[in-house]
Order: sequence, then C-alpha cells, then structure tokens
Amino acid sequence: MPGNIRSVSAVRVVLLCLVFCRRLTIIGAAPICTNGQAGCHVLSLANLFDRVIQHSARMHGISNDLHSEFEQYFLPSKNQVGRVSRNCHTSTILTPNGKENAQRMAREELTEVILKLLVAWGDPLWHFHQTLEMSDMVHELRKGVEKVAEKMQMLGIIVNSVSSQASPEALLPSDSAEWRLMKDYDLLYCFRRDSNKVQNYLKILKCRIVPEHGC
Amino acid sequence: MYCCLSQISSSNSLRKLKAIHQSNAVLALFFSVSNLYLSLSFCHCLSAPIEPHFTECVSRDQETFRCWWSPGTFHNLSSPGALRVFYLKKDSASREWKECPEYIHSNRECFFDVNHTSVWVPYCMQLRSQDNVNFFNEDYCFTVENIVRPDPPVSLNWTLLNISPSGLSYDVMVNWEPPPSADVGAGWMRVEYEIQYRERNATNWEALEMQPRTQQTIYGLHIGKEYEVHIRCRMQAFTKFGEFSDSIFIQVTEIPSRETTLPLTLILVFGIVGILILIMLIVVSQQRRFMMILLPPVPAPKIKGIDPELLKKGKLDELNFILSGGGMGGLPAYAPDFYQDEPWVEFIEVDAEDADTGEKEDNQGSDTQRLLGLPQPASHHMNIGCSNTVSFPDDDSGRASCYDHDVPEQDTVMLMATLLPGQPEDGEASLIVERAPTPERGERPLIQTQTTGPQTWVNTDFYAQVSNVMPSGGVVLSPGQQLRIQESTSATEEETQKKGKESEGSEETEGKKQKEPQFQLLVSTARQISTPPISPMPGAEYQTIQHPQPAETKPAAAAEDNQSPYILPDSPQSQLFAPVSDYTVVQEVDSQHSLLLNPPPHQSPPPCLPPHPLKALPAMPVGYITPDLLGNLSP
Repeated sequence: MPGNIRSVSAVRVVLLCLVFCRRLTIIGAAPICTNGQAGCHVLSLANLFDRVIQHSARMHGISNDLHSEFEQYFLPSKNQVGRVSRNCHTSTILTPNGKENAQRMAREELTEVILKLLVAWGDPLWHFHQTLEMSDMVHELRKGVEKVAEKMQMLGIIVNSVSSQASPEALLPSDSAEWRLMKDYDLLYCFRRDSNKVQNYLKILKCRIVPEHGC
Repeated sequence: MYCCLSQISSSNSLRKLKAIHQSNAVLALFFSVSNLYLSLSFCHCLSAPIEPHFTECVSRDQETFRCWWSPGTFHNLSSPGALRVFYLKKDSASREWKECPEYIHSNRECFFDVNHTSVWVPYCMQLRSQDNVNFFNEDYCFTVENIVRPDPPVSLNWTLLNISPSGLSYDVMVNWEPPPSADVGAGWMRVEYEIQYRERNATNWEALEMQPRTQQTIYGLHIGKEYEVHIRCRMQAFTKFGEFSDSIFIQVTEIPSRETTLPLTLILVFGIVGILILIMLIVVSQQRRFMMILLPPVPAPKIKGIDPELLKKGKLDELNFILSGGGMGGLPAYAPDFYQDEPWVEFIEVDAEDADTGEKEDNQGSDTQRLLGLPQPASHHMNIGCSNTVSFPDDDSGRASCYDHDVPEQDTVMLMATLLPGQPEDGEASLIVERAPTPERGERPLIQTQTTGPQTWVNTDFYAQVSNVMPSGGVVLSPGQQLRIQESTSATEEETQKKGKESEGSEETEGKKQKEPQFQLLVSTARQISTPPISPMPGAEYQTIQHPQPAETKPAAAAEDNQSPYILPDSPQSQLFAPVSDYTVVQEVDSQHSLLLNPPPHQSPPPCLPPHPLKALPAMPVGYITPDLLGNLSP
C-alpha cells in the first residue's frame, strides 16, 4: 500500500503541476498586513472579506480542476459518490448543510467552522505532495480568515474569540491519521467539497456581517 | 516553477503509472461489460428490458432538488404509485432509506424541498416496487452541489455599440439578469454565463467565452444580417449547464449617413459664396494689381511670322532661307500637293536674288514674265514656271501661281500676257519702287525702268491687281493711282524681291510701311475699279506702293512730293485710272531698298492668248484668276 501510494504520488505531481502551473499566475494573494508592519495600511473589513473570498474561490477552482483531471485520467466509474467507503477526514466537523442552516448559524460558529476546515486541510495536502503549493494556499487562506476573525473581534461583531490561538492540531479529532488512508482520488474529492464549503460559508458570512444589496 | 521541472523528469514514471491505472480501469470496464452482456444474453431479445431507473435529478438553486424516474420497459409499473422512491442521506450515522417526501406523479417526479435538502451530503436514490419487494439495483447517488443546473438568465437584451467605419460590421453589447431562482446576491451560488449566437439560417452556434459578469460584447456582426442569441449559465467550477434562455434577434440595417454629406455641402456652398464675394470686391475696387491677377489681359495673338529684323538690310539670305521653309523659325512647309487640287491657285516661283549683287537682269525666271508669255532672257521662255515642282511654301498670298499643267502653256502664257494689259506700251517696265528719300540720306528715288526692249519685264513675281479681264482673255490690271513711268534711265538696281510681305495685300503693305520707314511705295488702292477697257492702257495699271504716310494709300499725288521723276500719265489716261488696286506685285527691291514694281508691257498681247474672248470681268488683282475666270480661260 505505501508503495502504491508513493507510485501514485508521482502522478499526483503531474496532475497538480498541470493545474498549478496554470493557476500560479492567477493566484496573487495580496499580503495581509501583520501588526506593526510598516508601509501597510489597514484594510476595511469588507475589503478583507473580498480578498479572502477571492482566495477561496481560486482555491476551489484549483481543487475542482485537480479532481476533474484526476477523474479524466484514471476513468473511475461514475458513481464513486455512492461508495460508502468514502469518508473524508473532515466529516467529523459539523458543517451546515444548507443555506438556511448557514445563515442561522452564529457568526462565531461559522467562522470557527471555516477555520477548522482550513486547518484540517493544511497537513494532508502537504503530505499529498510536498512541492505543490496547494497546502501553502490553504495556509494562506487560513491566515486570512484568522485576520478577518480578529478584525471582527476588534469591531465587536463577534464576541467569543475564535480559537485561533489554539494549536491547529487540537481542532482535529484524535484519529487524525485517518486521512493517510484515504486514496488520492478521495482526497481530491473531499478537498474539492470542503473548498466549496469554505467558499460558500465565507460568502454567507460576509453577507451577514457586511451588508450589501442582494444579501 | 520547479513543479513543472519535476513533471518533465517524472514523465516516464507517469506513463508507467498511467498505463497501470489504465489497465486496471480497462479490466474493470471489461468486467462490467461482460456482466451486462451476460445479463442481456438471458433475454434473447433485440432490445433488452430496461429496468425502472432515474432519468435525472436536478437542483436549480442548490436548496431544493427533484428527481425523475422512468419505468423503462416495465410498463406495468408505469401507473402512478407502482414505483416508490427511496433515498438515503449519508450525512449521519443513521443510514436508513426514506421515502420521497413529495411525489408529483404526473411528472414521475420526486421533489425534495429545503428541509430535505442537504448540500455536500451524498444522496442515494432507489426505486422500489410498491410492495417493497423488488429493489431495483441501480442506485443513483450524488451530492446536491454537483447536480445544480441553474435556470437560464432573464431579461436578455442588446444595444448597439458602434458601427465600423466601412459600414459593414458592428458591435453589440448584450445584457441580462441572473436567474431569479439562483441566489447570486448572497453568494450562495456563483454563476458564470455563456452566450451563443448564430446567423438566422446557420446551423452552428458560435459560443463566447464563459464569464461571470452579466454583460458581454459581441464583435464583428455584419450589417443587414439577422442574428439569433441565447444564453445559459452554470455554477462556477462545476460542469452542468442550465437550459438555454429564449433567443433574441439582432439585426442592424444600413443607416444612410446623411450626417457626413450635409456638412460637406454646407462647406462647399459657403466656400463658393465667399470666393464669389471676394472676387466681386476685387473687381469693384478696381485694384489694378488684383485685376491683373484675377482677370489677366488677353495676350495678343502671336502669329508665327518672320522676324522683322530679317527684313532689314542685308539679311535677305536668312529671309529667303526662312521663307523657303528651312530652319526652325521657318514658315510652315506645306506639302507640295497641298494646292495641287486647286488649279486656280498658282504659285509663282520666286527667285531669290542677292541684294548686294544688285542684279537687275534676274528677271529671267520671273513668273510674271512667264505669266505674260514674254520671251525670257534665258532659255526657258516658255517655262512659265508651271513646273510642277514649284511648291512654294507659302500661304495663299494671291500670287499668280502655276497653272494646272492641263492647261496648255501656250494659252497660259497668252493669258498671262493679257493679265497685265496695262503694261506700258513702250515696253518699259515701270516698276516704281521708290524709297522716300530721307532728308538725311538724300537718296534719290530710284526708278527702275526696263529698257531691255521687248523684254520689258522686270520681275513681277508678286501681285498686280487685275481690274478687269478682257474678252480676249487678257486681264486688265487695275490702274494705279497714277502712272508713274520712269523716264529717267537711271540705273535701277534691282533688289531681291520681297516675297512674303508684299503678297499680303495693301493692308499689309500699309502695315509694313509702318514698319519699314525706309521704303516708300506707291500703292494703288483702287477699290472701285471701273471697268476699264480691256485694251491695255499705258501706264494705267501701275501699281505703286506708297510709302507710309498714315496707313492709307494716297493718290500718287502724295508721292509727288518725293519723287520728281515720275512719269505722269496723260490726263485722259488718268481718267481711266481706276483707283489703286489692292495688290501689287513687287518684283524686286533694289539696292536702295526700293520696291520695284513692274509695269505691264505694252506690246501686243502675247500669242498665248486664248482664242476665245473673255467676258468683261470685274477687276481683280494681278495674278489671280478666280474660279469663274478659270472657266472662261480654260479651253
């Protein structure tokens, strides 16, 4: 099994590179200012949200391309979804499954869910392939969301501090080695799903916090 | 980009792994196909029975979804309620099949409302028979976000952006609204749109690039053609498109560009009016300078003639050269046969004479002598000069030209002789060419007389006006104003004849007089030429060219002042003097630049007279034979 995984990992390199090298130029995540950084002006919350949402959209796009190319190359049967064995390692994280659920959820909870997801995906992606920048992107997005949470906290929008200070590993369930067992295709499938979740949650969060027409 | 470098290095391993996976996939496919074949082979039918199955499950807004099923070939199960839909949500530990929350049997549709819809959760659908006995194996599993097909956009419309300068193509901006069912505003669904268009009668659609904005430009549509446009959308980063919207039609017909022509015409009109006003102002103000610019004076016609300088003394060679047609400044050389067809036009050969030599007796080839049939001093007495080679390159100057060679020379000679009946009987040529003795010069007028006896001809190559034609065929030269017969025998010096100048006629001679003050000629400008008797009259036909007094020829009385040695005719003769003829033949110009006119001889009419008499004809210049005369003359 490990040998199989490693042999496939080389394939993953190709796939990810195909997608990445195309998208690398597109992804131009603007650096988010840390405190005390000179020459960096503070951004408004709406602007922060926009940046983060943009980033998450790109991430979802890349994950989608990866998944579809993987599917195209290896011709899996159509109904992979029906396989019961598919079980994402993030399935334990309770996430709202609908628009109303997400809108009804408290902002703090929603923010926390987002962060949990992002945290959960940092390591697996890194382990998926070290040279890919996908995990870096996830890390960047996580930091961005944390910034947003801090800003919201500063503005008094959310009360409880998000457990950003806590170590990321604490968020994961104890059985964190589960993701190592996932197949590559499942990994990509799960990542695609979770990136879509993150994107949608961020949008809903922004619509609730920064009101704009259409929300 | 080190990832791509690693790609290159691992391409080989990729191929191997790909091959392995492909082989695995092929094996799986083979097994599934074999299974299908086996299942189908049981039937022994052409069309294998199709089990009830789900045709499709679709969500429009990612909040609800619906599933449709079909009974397949099991028609006994097509009745509503014969088949039941069960689903399984794999979101929680509880994995139990639930029945469809809402049936729409008319459509064979199962609708899942918001409460029963969970996104990112796998669903599996199952058809069961009514009695829950038969489970149809095929499970249809999906997640809601993967089956989203958004509704088509609404409010599709277009506006014209611009038309190309050539007027053949145009650009159009198309606008639309996102589908109302998709919550795009809240960001729950992010949608991208695809526009397709085609010409009215085309079969293939042109698809533009997908983009998430609600407007797009279509470039390069052709004027006059009708285009059909529709649009559809899908979720970003997903694969399933929604339905196409209703088509709209775009057509732009040619617009006549009147705007461009209108200012042009205005500019033209104003420009013309302005220029006209300006011209009027200039004309009215009479500014000389502007007038010269606007309305330049018409230049006087410049007839290419002979440089008057050449007429001065000592340049007769050049003059002859020019007159003979040579040189650049020469007179146009007519073709010899230019006048061949007109027998009445006769050329007289002009002999170029050297002025300095002052030969007097060069009248041997004179046409007048030939004309009059007088014996020539030279041999060619009968040579009236009617050689056909005479091709005098001059315009019709009225000189007596050579007859048509049909006419016998004899007659011609006789005719010629009669043409000049007014020759002095004494046979003296009385060419009176005088020069006004300028006081300073004190030259004596020259009177040339021909005392050569029977040969009294001086070169009369130029004209003498014929005043009348005798019945016998002779021509009466119009009498001069006075007959000036030279009595003195002063040596006359002949000079080369003027060719072109005198032939012009009196008017020109008058004009010439002005130019050549040195010459004095007595001109006979007898307009009313009475019908003089045909008989030759002594001295009646003299032609004297008067030197210029003011441009009218005066009677010879005026010349009396200058010349004493004129021979005045007798008074009775003077009666017979018709007014001075228009033409004068100047035979020569003597050394003193006097024009010498030959008097007609007085001898008997030359033997060449035509036998038949001539009718009395009005006087005509010497040398001319008018066409009606010609009829009389020719035998």
